[in-house]
Amino acid sequence: MLKTLIGRELLDNLMTFRFAAAVFITLLLVVANTIVLLKDYEQRLTAYNTAVQESREDLREEKTYAGYSGTLVAHRPPNPLSIFNLGLDKQVGNKIEVYHAFVPTIWDAEKHGMDNPFLNLFTSIDIVLVFQGVLSLLALIFAYDGLAGERERGTLRLVLTHPIQRGYILLAKYISAMLCLLVPLLISLLLSIILLTTSTTLALRADDFLRIGGIVLTSLLYVSLFYLIGLCISALTRRTSTALMLCMFVWGVLVLVYPNLILTAVDIVPKPNAQISVHNQIKQMWEQLDKENKQFIRNDGVLSPPSRGGEDLAAGFGLEGVEYTFWQDEDKPSILLYFHQTGLYAGKIKAESEPQVPPVQNYYGFYNRETINTVERTWLVRKPALEAIYVQPANLGRMLLRFSPVGLYDAATEAWAGTDLEGIQDFFGTVQRYRRAVVDYFYDKKIFESRQWFAADKGTADWDALPQFSFHRSDTGINAKRALPDMLLLLTMNVILFTVVLLIFVKSEV
Amino acid sequence: MWHIAKREIYDNLNSLRFALTTVLLLALMVTNAVKHLREHPKRVQRYQDAVTESLNHLTDRADDSLYTLAQYGPGNFYKKPSPLHFCANGGESLLPDAVEVGEPPVFMTDAEGNRLLEGIWSLSYPDANLHNKNVGPKVSQVDWAFIIGYILSLIALWFTFDAFSGEREHGTLRLMLANSIPRHTVLIGKFFGALLSISIPFALAVLVNLLLISTANTVHLTTEAWGRLGIIFCLALLYTSLFVALGLLVSARVQQSAVSLMILLLTWVTLVVFMPSTLASIASSFSPATSFEEFWKQRHPIKEDLWEIYREGRSSKSEDRRLRAKSEFYTKNAERDERKHEERLKYRSAQVHRARAITGISPATLLQHLMEGFAGTGFERHLQFVENTQRYTRQLREFVADTDRADPESLHILGVREGMSEKPISPEAVPRFEDTLNLSKDFNTAAMELLLLTLFVLVLLSGAYLAFVRVEV
Repeated sequence: MLKTLIGRELLDNLMTFRFAAAVFITLLLVVANTIVLLKDYEQRLTAYNTAVQESREDLREEKTYAGYSGTLVAHRPPNPLSIFNLGLDKQVGNKIEVYHAFVPTIWDAEKHGMDNPFLNLFTSIDIVLVFQGVLSLLALIFAYDGLAGERERGTLRLVLTHPIQRGYILLAKYISAMLCLLVPLLISLLLSIILLTTSTTLALRADDFLRIGGIVLTSLLYVSLFYLIGLCISALTRRTSTALMLCMFVWGVLVLVYPNLILTAVDIVPKPNAQISVHNQIKQMWEQLDKENKQFIRNDGVLSPPSRGGEDLAAGFGLEGVEYTFWQDEDKPSILLYFHQTGLYAGKIKAESEPQVPPVQNYYGFYNRETINTVERTWLVRKPALEAIYVQPANLGRMLLRFSPVGLYDAATEAWAGTDLEGIQDFFGTVQRYRRAVVDYFYDKKIFESRQWFAADKGTADWDALPQFSFHRSDTGINAKRALPDMLLLLTMNVILFTVVLLIFVKSEV
Repeated sequence: MWHIAKREIYDNLNSLRFALTTVLLLALMVTNAVKHLREHPKRVQRYQDAVTESLNHLTDRADDSLYTLAQYGPGNFYKKPSPLHFCANGGESLLPDAVEVGEPPVFMTDAEGNRLLEGIWSLSYPDANLHNKNVGPKVSQVDWAFIIGYILSLIALWFTFDAFSGEREHGTLRLMLANSIPRHTVLIGKFFGALLSISIPFALAVLVNLLLISTANTVHLTTEAWGRLGIIFCLALLYTSLFVALGLLVSARVQQSAVSLMILLLTWVTLVVFMPSTLASIASSFSPATSFEEFWKQRHPIKEDLWEIYREGRSSKSEDRRLRAKSEFYTKNAERDERKHEERLKYRSAQVHRARAITGISPATLLQHLMEGFAGTGFERHLQFVENTQRYTRQLREFVADTDRADPESLHILGVREGMSEKPISPEAVPRFEDTLNLSKDFNTAAMELLLLTLFVLVLLSGAYLAFVRVEV
C-alpha cells in the first residue's frame, strides 16, 4: 500500500513544472558557482605556493640563526573543501611567523600580499549558500500544497475512504518529496564534483569524499526540516494560497531576516579595550626581563665597554666586525601582542675581539632562555584574554544563529569542510607545536648559545637540519565529531516536526 | 483607474500579508534605529578624539617652527562618520578610516643613533583594519539598504504574484474586463494599488525609525541629511516598483498563482542573492593584484637615482648647492613614496570599480550603490575622502612655501633645516583639513546607476503591459 502511495506521489511530483524548475535552477547556480569558486581556489593555491617558495628562499639567505626572525614563516594552504563552505578560510590570515619571542595565534597571522583587501566589500559565495537559499525554498514549494491542496481538491477524502492509516499517507508524501528534492541536490553535487576532479590543481583525497558525504547528509536533514515546516503549515491551513503565503513568510524570516536581525541586535563585535590591563601586565613581564637582562650585563664585567655603563647593546658589545645591531619590537594592544628583541650581526669578527666572543655567546644563551620563559609566562595570561576578546563573542554569535535551521546547517557543513573556527585553529595549533619543536631543536643543538647565532664567519646556519613544518587537516572522524551536535539538533527538530505534523493531520477533519 | 487602485488597496489592507509585512518591517526598522543610537555616538566620539589629537600635532609643530611643520606635516586625517550610517553601512568596517601622514624616513644614522639624513613626511593609505581579527560569523548588518534591497523587494513580489493569475483563478478578471475599461488602465491601477499598499507599511516603519533616531539627542540630522533621506525614500519606491512590475509581468503570463510565485521567487533568489556575489567573484578574478612584496621590490632599485643626486650635491663645494641637493633628495623621495602609494590605491580601486560595474547588472547591487552614494558611506565615499586629503595636502604645501617666502632670513630651500625659516607660526594661520560631502557631486556620480535602475523599471513595466494586453483571459 505504502508503495502505491509513494508511487502516486512521486509521479505527481516528478511531472510538475516545479520539479523541472527546481532541477534547472539548482544546476545552473551550482555549476556556475563551482566554476567561479574553482578558479578562485586555484588562484589562492598559486599564491600559497609562491609564498612558500619565496619564504624558503628568504630563509636560505639568512646566514645566522638569529636572522630567522621574520623569515621562518608557516603558510596556511587553502582548504579544497572551502568550495563547499568557505567559512573562515579566506577571512583569516594565512601567513604566520614562527619565532621564539611570541606564541603564534590565529590573530597574529597576516595575509600574503596577493589579494586586494577592498574586494572583501563584495559578498562571497559557496555551494552550501546556494543550497541554503534554494533548496529550502524548493522544499517549501514542494510542501505547501501537500495537505491543503489535496483537501481543496477533495482527493484527500477519496484517499481516506480506503483503509489506510493517516500516518502512511504522510510518510508516503514525505518520502516521495524527499526523493524528488534529492534529485537536484545529487545531480548538481555530482556535476560540481566532476568539475572539481577535472581540475589539475585541486586534488580531492578519499577522506574528502567522506566529508562531502557528510555535507550531503547534513543538506538532506536541512531540506527535510524545511519540507516538514512546509507540511506543518499546509496541515494547519485550509487554503493553498494562504499556505503558500505563510511558507514564503517563514522562509523569509528564517533564512533572511533572523540571522541578520539577531546579530545586528546583539553586539558581538570584539572589544580589545576591555582587556587592556592584560596588555599592561604583559608589558610589565617584558620590562622585568629587561631588568634581568641589564643586571646580567652589569654583573658580567667582560661584556661591554665601561663607557656605556654596561647598559647599551647598540654598540655590539664592543666586538670588532659587527655590521649591524637591531632592536625589534611589536606592540599591538588590540591582539595583546607585545615583545621586543635585540641582536646583532657580525660578518667577520676580527681576531683582537676573539676573547670577547664566548661571553657574548653566553649572554645570548641566557637572553634567549629568559625570553622563552617570559613568553611562556605571558602566554598564560594572553591566551584566556584573547579567548575572551575574540572567541567568546564569535561563539555567542554562532550560538544565536543556531536558533534558525540556517545557522545549524551552516555550522555543521563548516565543521565537515574543516573551515570552522576549530578547523582553522587546528592549523594554528600545529604552528604552535612547530614553534615548540624549533625551540627544542635550538636547545638540543645549543644553537641559542652558539657562535652561529650572531656571527657568520665560522660556519653559517644550517637550515636543512631544522625541523620541517607540515600541516595535515584533521581526520574525518574529528570533523564528524564537530559536526555531530548540530546534525543531531537538526535531526531532533526533524523528528519533533514530523510528530507535530502527524498529530495535526490525524486530529484534523477532512 | 483610481477605482481599481483603491479596490486593490482595500483588498490588501485586510489581508494577512499586510499585517505580517507591517510587523516585519517595523521589527527591522526599530532594530536598525536602536543599533544606530547605540553605536553612532561612539563612532562620533572616536572620530572627534582622533581629530583633536591630530590637530594637537599640527598645533605643536606649527608652534615649534615652520621647518618642523614642513618636515613632520599635519597629524593623520580621519574620515568623518556619516550621520546616515543607518541607511547603508557600505562595508565601513572593511574600509580604513584614516589617511596616514607617514613619519619622515630616516636615511642614515651615526653610531650613537643620531639622525643624519632625515626626510620629510608623505601621505600613505593604509589597508583596511582589523577585519581579519574577527572570527565571528559573517552576516550583513540590518541597514536600510538591506531592508529595502532584500526584504522590500521580496514583499513586492509577495503582493503581486497573484495580481492577475489569482483573479483569473477566481474568475474576477473576466468580470472586470467585461466592463469598458481599457486593459492598460487595469494594469496601471494594479501597479499603483500594489505600490501604495507596500508603501504604507514601509512609510510607517520609516517614520518610526526616523522618529526614534531624531528624538535622541545624541544624533543630529541636518537639513541636508533630511534631503538625502528624501532621495533615499524615492529610491526605495523606484526599486520597489521594479519588483512590482516584475511580479505583474510574471503574473500576467502564468495561469496558476503558485507557479507564478515559484518563478518569481527563483528569479528573485538569482537576481538579488546570487548574482551580486557570483559576478563579483568573476570580476575580481579577471586580474590578479600585484602583491605588496612585488610592489616594494619594484620601488627599491629605482631609488638609486635619488641617492645619486644626493651624492653629487654632497661633493659640491658651495653650501647652497649642497643644501639644494639635499632638499631635492628629500622632496623627490617623499613625492615618489606618495606616488607609489597612490598608484597602488588606484590599481586596487580600478579593480573594485570593474567588479562594481559588472555586478551592476543586478538591480539589488544598483540599489546598494545608490544607497551608499546618498548615505555618504562605502567605497566611493572613501575615495572622495582620499581626494579631500590630497587636495588639503597640496594646499598645506603651498602654504608652507608661501610662508617661507615671506621670511627674509630664510634661504627658501624647502625640507632642509638650514635652508628654511625656523620661526614659529601661528597655528590659526595654518589651513585646517575639513572632510566635506557634496550632494550635487554625489548626484552626478550616481546619475548613471539611477538611469539604469529607471531603465529596468520601464522595461519591466512595458513588458508587463505587453504581456497583459496580449494574454487571453
